[in-house]
Amino acid sequence: MSRISPVTGHYVTLEVDGLEYKVFYLENGTGQPLVCQHTAGCHNHQWRGLLEDDEITADYRVIAYDLPRHGKSDPPENAEWWKEEYKLTADHYVNFIVALCDALELEDPIFMGSSFGGNVALQLALRHPDRFAGVLSVEGADYSPGFYLDWWQHPHANAAQVCASGVWDLMAPQSPEADRWKTWFYYSQGSEAFKGDLHFYSVDHDLRGRLGEIDGDRCPVVMLTGEYDYLTTPEDSARTAGEIKNGAFIAMPEIGHFPMSENHATFRRYLLQGLQALQDVKAKSG
Amino acid sequence: MTAATRAPSAQAWADAFAEASNTDPEIQAHGKYFTCSYLLDATERSYVVEVQSGRVVNVAVDPGPLDVAYDFAIRASAETWRGFGEPVPAPMYHGIWAATFQRDMRLEGKVLVLMQNLRCITRQIELLRVVGAPV
Repeated sequence: MSRISPVTGHYVTLEVDGLEYKVFYLENGTGQPLVCQHTAGCHNHQWRGLLEDDEITADYRVIAYDLPRHGKSDPPENAEWWKEEYKLTADHYVNFIVALCDALELEDPIFMGSSFGGNVALQLALRHPDRFAGVLSVEGADYSPGFYLDWWQHPHANAAQVCASGVWDLMAPQSPEADRWKTWFYYSQGSEAFKGDLHFYSVDHDLRGRLGEIDGDRCPVVMLTGEYDYLTTPEDSARTAGEIKNGAFIAMPEIGHFPMSENHATFRRYLLQGLQALQDVKAKSG
Repeated sequence: MTAATRAPSAQAWADAFAEASNTDPEIQAHGKYFTCSYLLDATERSYVVEVQSGRVVNVAVDPGPLDVAYDFAIRASAETWRGFGEPVPAPMYHGIWAATFQRDMRLEGKVLVLMQNLRCITRQIELLRVVGAPV
């Protein structure tokens, strides 16, 4: 029996805000597109379990991309990016995701992201409710201060280890040790992008007072958060979902801030609930 | 607190902690440059852990104010440290970042030294799940 995975990888070139990116993505499955964003300072291998999940890929085309500057997606092709400090903004992040969905000619995609991907899911629902069938905001909140730290790039410490061990506590002790270590390993690879990503996560993303503007009929929002997440706690996500029209919140016991990467077997149970909840809101609002 | 659940004596805990760290495969594999000292302040008890090249060479128990120098301090209430001593800690008692962001833990002193040794310190503190709480 062949041990070649059904997951395939591709590059697509696109332009966003005058910047040209050659974007790498992995995909598997058929059906409604499910576009997946990794967490800050990481890459698309966090979705390795979902990409090979037979049940979900039977109904959804799972697409997990590397954001530029992460994994196999290089920094911009047409800019001297090394002469500037990388600080991700909500505007550019949102514009990139829409441009990617356009470049892949995706119809009615569901967007799912975790952590800074969970936060941008809320931005997408607010700004582009007609472009997405719905969003799954994993470990997201209206506001998540406190993680834009100089320690991620301090030249007197081992940045790879500070990033990797600095996020270790975001995972639950119940998650399989091997999967937690894979996540640690990914984080040892992304220190240069991590801090710039967190500029969006902890500084530029702030939807306090604006959640009521999200059109939860056109673009339903389901939020899922693990109980071991010390950055965005279940209380933060529940409060956020409560202020969004049709917003739903699913609490995830015994899992942390990287649910798809630290424990896909546990996460998938909640994900199936979340996908069903999105379909239910869509059916109700016609 | 009943006698059955009482933590071991401070010296017994210090010895068990040093033994667990010095026989831990991960720390021994990655601790070649793990050299620092830190105060583990559990309010009702305190310890200064001294590590050289990955080996715990001394654990000072309840040191006096000027007895033992250290690079940085990890301080929390006895209740928080007891949470760390559970085999499967409850949320926010599962690491120094979690307890610092969400509970009463404080990281003080030369935090740069903590960051320089973060990988092994993280593992060392997780050994409390096996050794038990320091207080």
